[in-house]
Amino acid sequence: MTAKREAARPRDLWASAAFFLAALLAGTLPARAEFKLFYPIIDYREIEFEHNGDTTFDRRKSGKSNNQSYTNEVEIGATPFWKVGLEGESAAPSGENLRYEAATLENFFQLTPQGKYWADLGFFAEYSHAASRADADAITFGPMVQKEVPDLFGQDTLHTLNLFFGKEVGRNRSAATPLFFSWQSRVRLHPQFEPGIELFSVVDDIAAPGKFADQQHRIGPMFAGIYPLYRLGNIRYEAGYLFGLTHAAERGAVRWRFEYEIPF
Amino acid sequence: MMSNQRAVFLGVVMALALAVAPSRAADDPSYTLTIRQHRFEPTELEIPAGKKIALVVKNLDATPEEFESIELHREKVVTGGSEITVYIGPLKPGRYEFFGDFNPDTARGHLIAK
Repeated sequence: MTAKREAARPRDLWASAAFFLAALLAGTLPARAEFKLFYPIIDYREIEFEHNGDTTFDRRKSGKSNNQSYTNEVEIGATPFWKVGLEGESAAPSGENLRYEAATLENFFQLTPQGKYWADLGFFAEYSHAASRADADAITFGPMVQKEVPDLFGQDTLHTLNLFFGKEVGRNRSAATPLFFSWQSRVRLHPQFEPGIELFSVVDDIAAPGKFADQQHRIGPMFAGIYPLYRLGNIRYEAGYLFGLTHAAERGAVRWRFEYEIPF
Repeated sequence: MMSNQRAVFLGVVMALALAVAPSRAADDPSYTLTIRQHRFEPTELEIPAGKKIALVVKNLDATPEEFESIELHREKVVTGGSEITVYIGPLKPGRYEFFGDFNPDTARGHLIAK
């Protein structure tokens, strides 16, 4: 494929980023998705615009149907091992209108060079500032692990795991320490279509995890892909359907992610 | 008895230590690509199939370039006058295209795994 378009100029990029940030902070764009997997590889000198969304399905009046969550985010690979992102989050709980929920500062640290060791390791830390005074701010942090397994039953595969802990801070905080466990395995069938399976789990408080049925566990198929635009960067996309495994989780949920990335 | 929180934290630390401890990086054969006047040299580089390699990309130009390969699932910016190391493989025998994201018309090449 031949790319004849001109390279994007840094000034245009920063202008786009500034516009996106302004719109994001003004709350005109939706925000944080519940079902979101993070990868430990940093693309240095790359700016990324990302949208995540999900919506749930369950019986009407169960309180677990049509829960919507959205995030819009801009991320910059500031150094070869650190990426910083600013995210706007919004959500529409079952039966309620969409509302702006929080602004979040995300930090990704790549701890090992990609492919050098048995697994690629990263660390994630975010601070989420709640839009409502009734809600507490929160920090979330934990490791990201990724493993490429080539030629597994004849196919190259990619496996990613997030193990995050949460803690509310400031006014109205609770004492609970939630655990967010996410895992994804996918087959590198084709760059534009990599099917896989993923699991998203939430334990509301690791000090009192309760019964398995009281925890939120979901599993389902997904696919991911990348579409190269060469000088104009890349488009990445993911989508999946999650089946609730426990009573605390909804029966089903759809999640999606779109990302545009361009080096500078 | 250990609390749930302590057990989880301990498990995480042990898992992370295991993830990075068994390194064979010192044994990985190294190959070099050079970027000069927005072109890769050589444009075709033979590497052993079934073996992880360290690919050193040296940018002799003053401007940055991004080594990218959709097939190899790698992308990494190399600033002007500097070098990066990209770990690749083990690969099946075949041709794998790579390109420079800033100059895709001229900066193109293939890794040939044999």
